Amino acid sequence: MEKLIETTNLTYFYRSGTKDEVKALDKVNMNVFQGEILAITGQNGSGKSTLARHFNALLAPGHGDILVKGLSTGNKDNIPEIRKVIGMVFQNPDNQLVSSIVEEDIAFGPENLGLPQAEIIERVDWALHTLNLEDLRNEPPHNLSEGQKQQVAIAGVLAMKPECIVLDEPTAHLDPRGRREVLESAIRLNREEGITIVLLTHFMNEVVHCDRMIVMENGSVKMEGSPGVIFRKSEEIKTAGLDFPVASQIAEGLRREGFNIEPGIIKTEELLESLCQLKSSI
Amino acid sequence: MELTKNITLGVYLPGKSFIHNLDPRTKIIAATIIIILLLLSRSYAAFAVSALFIGSLMVLSGIPTGYALRGLKPMLPVLVIMWIFQLFLFKEPGATIYFHWWIFEATEAGLHMGNLIILRVLFLFTVTTFLTLTTSVVSLTDGLESLLKPLRMIGLPSQELVMTLVIALRFVLILAEELEKIIKAQMARGVAFDRGNFIQKTRKIFPVFLPLFIGAFKRAEELIVAMDARSYTGGRGRTKMKTLHMGRVDLTAAAGMTAYSGLLIYIIIFTKPMI
Repeated sequence: MEKLIETTNLTYFYRSGTKDEVKALDKVNMNVFQGEILAITGQNGSGKSTLARHFNALLAPGHGDILVKGLSTGNKDNIPEIRKVIGMVFQNPDNQLVSSIVEEDIAFGPENLGLPQAEIIERVDWALHTLNLEDLRNEPPHNLSEGQKQQVAIAGVLAMKPECIVLDEPTAHLDPRGRREVLESAIRLNREEGITIVLLTHFMNEVVHCDRMIVMENGSVKMEGSPGVIFRKSEEIKTAGLDFPVASQIAEGLRREGFNIEPGIIKTEELLESLCQLKSSI
Repeated sequence: MELTKNITLGVYLPGKSFIHNLDPRTKIIAATIIIILLLLSRSYAAFAVSALFIGSLMVLSGIPTGYALRGLKPMLPVLVIMWIFQLFLFKEPGATIYFHWWIFEATEAGLHMGNLIILRVLFLFTVTTFLTLTTSVVSLTDGLESLLKPLRMIGLPSQELVMTLVIALRFVLILAEELEKIIKAQMARGVAFDRGNFIQKTRKIFPVFLPLFIGAFKRAEELIVAMDARSYTGGRGRTKMKTLHMGRVDLTAAAGMTAYSGLLIYIIIFTKPMI
């Protein structure tokens, strides 16, 4: 697979050069591949947000290098192009919506790109349609639920037609329903529109739906691989301060009680299948 | 405490009336003319004519007058204090004295001055509220942006200013809600905002506004990052999804405005001012 984002020894300090400088990223080497869903997880302060902000040049690397489609984010001239490729959605939807009307807010990005009027309208319609927001078109954001606001924020990024959308804990403020809807949208954008998704999250039940996951700890990559493989490393997951997906917790508990359930279950569907097999074998 | 209930400035009531259908530029220019004329008005006749004109516009728009004026309620104490100050402190030699106590004198000139100031505030508030009630924030800012565009040539960053306004208007309700939350949180911890004398009450306000301001700055910072991520680099090179068009209704409005302005200018020049 083609590398969309590539970091080599990426290091970043907050308050760089002062007495109390903090190393937020420490020689991070990681890749984001074209077309995948990548989950980045880790405790607060593990550096995942700092890493994500390097992806679309909101932060420039202290040491090391980060290439987006071969363009270095350290070079200021590359920034407009990089931001066209990588879109970003943040945690609090209220603090990223600009306009008082949904469709105007979605138009904000394309307007910034200086696109012709007809194309802006077309893109806004498309983004509204793709995220099923057509009914909310003329609503002011404060009439929407938090989940809907986050969908609008995603639509606003989608309208810029990025190749990759980075979602920085997009579900942290949402109720379970909003969380599910945002996750479903992200997965759909990946499967149907072919957009690469980078999802930063604390929720392991979201991680299991991703193709690959990265666990960050103290500013560096602690583990990397498919969720199915990573969640088998129970001890390491615990020391990284993370928990397990609900399905794997149940499976583990049942196994401890002596039921014959195969290891490596992380998704609810897998658990269901395994339980059905168990039932038919009795 | 329901703070958001009393905010009518910046709220938009959608509708299909003649006023709603006007081009925002027409409405902004009309409101500006009315405000200038009101600031020049110094006679009761002029205010009566303006009241009639604005009143009929309100009827045309279908906006309930009571709702439009509700936003005045929190301002009433300030208005009364202003009126009393003018009544006692505005002095003009030879004016009739109604009432005399120690060094304070309530004069006829003071009464008129008080009335004039109150009328001006009332009318300015009503006109601006009426403008925002009948014009969505988006078309209002589109109109402003279009009207201010020529000023770009003399170096005024008109698009950026309008963007600031757009954002400010979007955050009015958010901050009002946040203020309500902070007040409720402090009430839950035993702060009685409605008790005590004026100084004690005022003192209780500070612990409320401090977190509000800090919160607002945090929001602003996050918003900047989000705008940056969406390729915002200022007004240059930006295009717009919607463009404005003037129509027949705007011509009718222009005719109405001309008649009103003509009448008011006549009154301003030829009637005796109240003071």
